[in-house]
Amino acid sequence: MIQVQELTHSFKIGKKGKERKIPVLKGLSFAINEGEIVSIVGRSGSGKSTLLHILAGFLKPDAGIIQIGDVRTSTFSEAESAKFRLDHFGFIFQNFQLMPGLTAFENVELPLKLAGVAKKDRQKKVQQLLQLVGLTEVQDHYPNELSGGQQQRVSIARALITDPPIIFADEPTGSLDSETEQDILLLIQSLNKTRGITFIIITHDDTVAETADRVYKMHDGELSEGGVGHAS
Amino acid sequence: MQVNDQIDFVRQHIKKNKLRVFMTILAATMGTAFLIVLASVGFGIHDTLRNEILDNRLVNQIEVYSSEMNQVKVEDLKKREHVKAVVFRQSVSINQQSELDGFIGSHNMTVTEFQEEAKVGFALQEGRMPENESEVVVGSHFAENLIEPNTVEEAEPSTYKGSLIGKQFTYKMGLYEEKELFPEETTLTIVGVAKEPAKDWIMDFNIYADSAIMPDLTTIFTSHVDDENSELFYGNVNVYAKNLENVTAVSKALKDEGYSVYSIADQLEQLDVFFLAFKAGLVFVGTIAILIASIGIFNTMTMAVTERTREIGVMKAIGASPKLIQRLFLMESAWIGIIGTIIAVIISYGVSFIANMVLPIIVSAALGDEEIASLDITFSIIPWQLVIIASAISITVAMISGWRPARKATKIDVIQALRQEI
Ligand SMILES: Nc1ncnc2c1ncn2[C@@H]1O[C@H](COP(=O)(O)OP(=O)(O)O)[C@@H](O)[C@H]1O
Ligand SMILES: [Mg+2]
Repeated sequence: MIQVQELTHSFKIGKKGKERKIPVLKGLSFAINEGEIVSIVGRSGSGKSTLLHILAGFLKPDAGIIQIGDVRTSTFSEAESAKFRLDHFGFIFQNFQLMPGLTAFENVELPLKLAGVAKKDRQKKVQQLLQLVGLTEVQDHYPNELSGGQQQRVSIARALITDPPIIFADEPTGSLDSETEQDILLLIQSLNKTRGITFIIITHDDTVAETADRVYKMHDGELSEGGVGHAS
Repeated sequence: MQVNDQIDFVRQHIKKNKLRVFMTILAATMGTAFLIVLASVGFGIHDTLRNEILDNRLVNQIEVYSSEMNQVKVEDLKKREHVKAVVFRQSVSINQQSELDGFIGSHNMTVTEFQEEAKVGFALQEGRMPENESEVVVGSHFAENLIEPNTVEEAEPSTYKGSLIGKQFTYKMGLYEEKELFPEETTLTIVGVAKEPAKDWIMDFNIYADSAIMPDLTTIFTSHVDDENSELFYGNVNVYAKNLENVTAVSKALKDEGYSVYSIADQLEQLDVFFLAFKAGLVFVGTIAILIASIGIFNTMTMAVTERTREIGVMKAIGASPKLIQRLFLMESAWIGIIGTIIAVIISYGVSFIANMVLPIIVSAALGDEEIASLDITFSIIPWQLVIIASAISITVAMISGWRPARKATKIDVIQALRQEI
């Protein structure tokens, strides 16, 4: 489903004229299969988020090829990237990234709005998903009226609403207590089972990595398979 | 994203910052209303002057001068294209006196062609047109200039009050520099009285006669004056075009043939050109006010974008296209411009109405002159064209000032935005 070849990226830091290049990704090649939960673990600053940003199209790599399905996404323009994300990706962030001015319901509805789905067709779908993540009671609450776990459920529902084949999660439980973390991980696993969604989970937490079918380890800008995945 | 969802989105954002948006709209409203009211004064003055000119004269009239005007030339003029009528009036250039039933007055003998006169509105209030050289039509104020000689010195000399139709009077000529008039008397019969001139301050004392009278009068004149160079009659010719559009063409053709011409159309054209420039100048000054207001819009939109950086980042992350982001912000600034313009138009009509009502009163009070209040002066007119121009300027300026902030929104880096603290 996702194939990456020789992915290279470095950041420039320092003042203009005296810039230094810091290589972050040093020629990564790997593949992720359809329906897998893959987790990428590694120390803070090892380049995990940067990899995710590049896969998601937030950032253009210096070099390398990314192929998702039949599509080469590494050559996309910004607009093409956005359109592709809307149709194929869902996102779960560490700090939820909900719209503060929208209710739980409206937050989940937002991607459908962006996709141009008519109001009457949106209603039912949002309702279903809110029920699935157990938030029907609080659907009219604003994010600041929800607990961390509830907010993360809203963001999961938002990630699911367009039925994307792939969901990226960057430290999805990083801001949650361990009990809530378990709930969220179980939810992810069940969604993976029932809907066949491919999850790419970034974490520095071994408990999280254990939910994965496969685990990649990020170290010094290089990726190696192995580690704590439950399948291994 | 569907259009109604876009509108919804923009409305929600505006609601969240009511006060700020309100102040921005207020500035846009003031700028636009200033432009409209300012320019409306140009339209008002232009209209007033135009009406003044059109009221006083016939618009399709062209005055034609030539050093040797004669009947042949006049006939020639009648045959031209787009010419409705040619009125060749010839007036007696020396002293004249008429006497009717002992009342005496000085009336100007004007020889003309009644057929042509009739085509351009010369009409009678009573009687008929002359049919021979001893019949005449007199002006509507003819009687008021017939005075009982014994009462000339009095404050209110007594004038002729009786009916004029069918009356005979004697007509005499003389030189201004001689006390005695020529002894020859011409007896004329009044068969008609002309209609009053349209303007009530114009008095018509003329005696209108057919050109058949000219030989007799000329004979009298030449028997007393043997100067080759002096003529009894001097003429003026007015050519009337079929309608206003033809005036320029006709007068240009006449000019090309060496006639001196003067028409209202020329005057109107000059006036219109002047006022076009004048109004453009007013609109330009007004636009400066709108530009100042646009700084407010620019600030508001820049703040809106900065405030919502993280939200824009999230939108982009979950798949909103840069185009959509730009459109949403442009819609917001356009909305400010449109609402500001609508309110401004309403206010401007109000201000214009009040100005037209109150200003004449103030002006006449200040000058202590009642007359001005009754005069037909319009200070401010807002034609729909002005509304269109002002709206176009105001909304365009609003969108231009919203354009940079909107661009800035599209340029927001997703990763940076998501990193922001909530
Ligand atoms: N915009 C940036 N400019 C410069 N350096 C950056 C930028 N973003 C990330 N980095 C650097 O790249 C490295 C990897 O960062 P990141 O991918 O966020 O790590 P992780 O998510 O594994 O903690 C870090 O050393 C970080 O300082
Ligand atoms: Mg990270």
